[in-house]
Amino acid sequence: MPQFFLNKRLIVLLVSIIILVALIGFSVRDREKLSWPEQFLKDTTGFIQNIFDKPVQLTAGFFENVKDLENTYQENKRLKTRLDEYVDLKTKVQDLEKENTELRDVLGKKESLRDFSPIQATVIARNPDMWHEKVIINRGKIHGVKKNMAVITAKGLVGKIKTVTQFTSTVQLLSSMDPKNRISVGIYSEKTPIYGFIEGFDQKERLLMMKKIPYDVKIKKGSEVVTSGLGGVFPKGLPVGKVEKVESDQYGLTQVAYIKPEAVMYDLNHLMVVKRTITTVDPTESGGGDL
Amino acid sequence: MSRVWLPLTALFLFLAESSYADLFSGEHFHSSRIFVPHFLFIFIVFLTIFGSTKSGIIYGLVFGFLFDVVYTEILGIYAFLFAFLALVVSRVMKMVHSNMLSAALVSILAVAVLEILVYEANSLIHFTDISFNEFASLRLLPTLLLNAAAVIILAFPIKFVIDRSKVVD
Repeated sequence: MPQFFLNKRLIVLLVSIIILVALIGFSVRDREKLSWPEQFLKDTTGFIQNIFDKPVQLTAGFFENVKDLENTYQENKRLKTRLDEYVDLKTKVQDLEKENTELRDVLGKKESLRDFSPIQATVIARNPDMWHEKVIINRGKIHGVKKNMAVITAKGLVGKIKTVTQFTSTVQLLSSMDPKNRISVGIYSEKTPIYGFIEGFDQKERLLMMKKIPYDVKIKKGSEVVTSGLGGVFPKGLPVGKVEKVESDQYGLTQVAYIKPEAVMYDLNHLMVVKRTITTVDPTESGGGDL
Repeated sequence: MSRVWLPLTALFLFLAESSYADLFSGEHFHSSRIFVPHFLFIFIVFLTIFGSTKSGIIYGLVFGFLFDVVYTEILGIYAFLFAFLALVVSRVMKMVHSNMLSAALVSILAVAVLEILVYEANSLIHFTDISFNEFASLRLLPTLLLNAAAVIILAFPIKFVIDRSKVVD
């Protein structure tokens, strides 16, 4: 046995395994903010990534444009038919919006869970090891980004802000498997709204799981799922996806709806960080949703 | 001037991995297979084989740590595995005659070991719940395929850079 412990290499290996476990334990817990060496490293690499990303996106954009040209004619035809519907819809929306503000004035209710101000951002990097689905954007603390804000594309919700440094921030996508990921959502197409939580992601079928739905409600396939704003952080009405299938959970007490995300989780270029205008609740204090 | 080329190449590959993931995750997404680029790790393995073990381990530690901080935010996993596997590779190469072919095979093997160990680490901290069989068909095989192609393309440029910068033990 003494020989075993005298082996210098083995001791170095053991010590480094202990350091490894300590580091993992340190970083897995829910941290309020990153330590300053991490922030410094992330900002420095973020600066380089910002420069490196420009020519890459330019070349990629060129090839994409060429690809787009191929089916321009077909698309144009289809879009022309949709244009008439659009005009119709637009007048309807304007009418409804006007009515809504009038009714709000009557009620004296100024703020809504729906109101938000967006911060435009560009993706500068993506985590190459695709276990933790994260992208890095070029907007940080000085631009007003805060932890836990919702991140959307033009189509819908894609994720939330995980960490913020001075000039960059990391977005955790909905498709990442984080046990702490939880978003309060609702289905409003029925007479009474159905509420639930987005918890987890089916990695094999690539569908989001909406859990904690009461067992006695019926959900139609294809129903639209949007954020409910009740979690205290996200605004209301950001589209999340469509219901693909509904199953009862393993104990039969609640149902689980599998949701196909509306926004694609790849080819992300321009994102919007959503800042809710109504007061936000600190989720760590209240123990609410949207964590 | 020859001193800067080695870290610059490593940094370039470090950034290229993320750009690759950003640009090409789309096409793979439809088939739900996941292709993980490990260009930086291939470079570290080649550096261990054709440069020196010491430099391989140092590059593994430094760039692995950078990878952890910037991309995964779970500190330690890649820093430890890059350095540890560099050590293992150097032991293996004592038994094998080092030439381009053996280096390519060893680096692909090392990528496989890396992926499996990272999978084990992630399932340990509950960041994934897929079974090993699913992992093997969804991630491991596609990843090995991609990295085999990457080795074929990158092997000679990487060796050129390492030979030029004259790494000494």
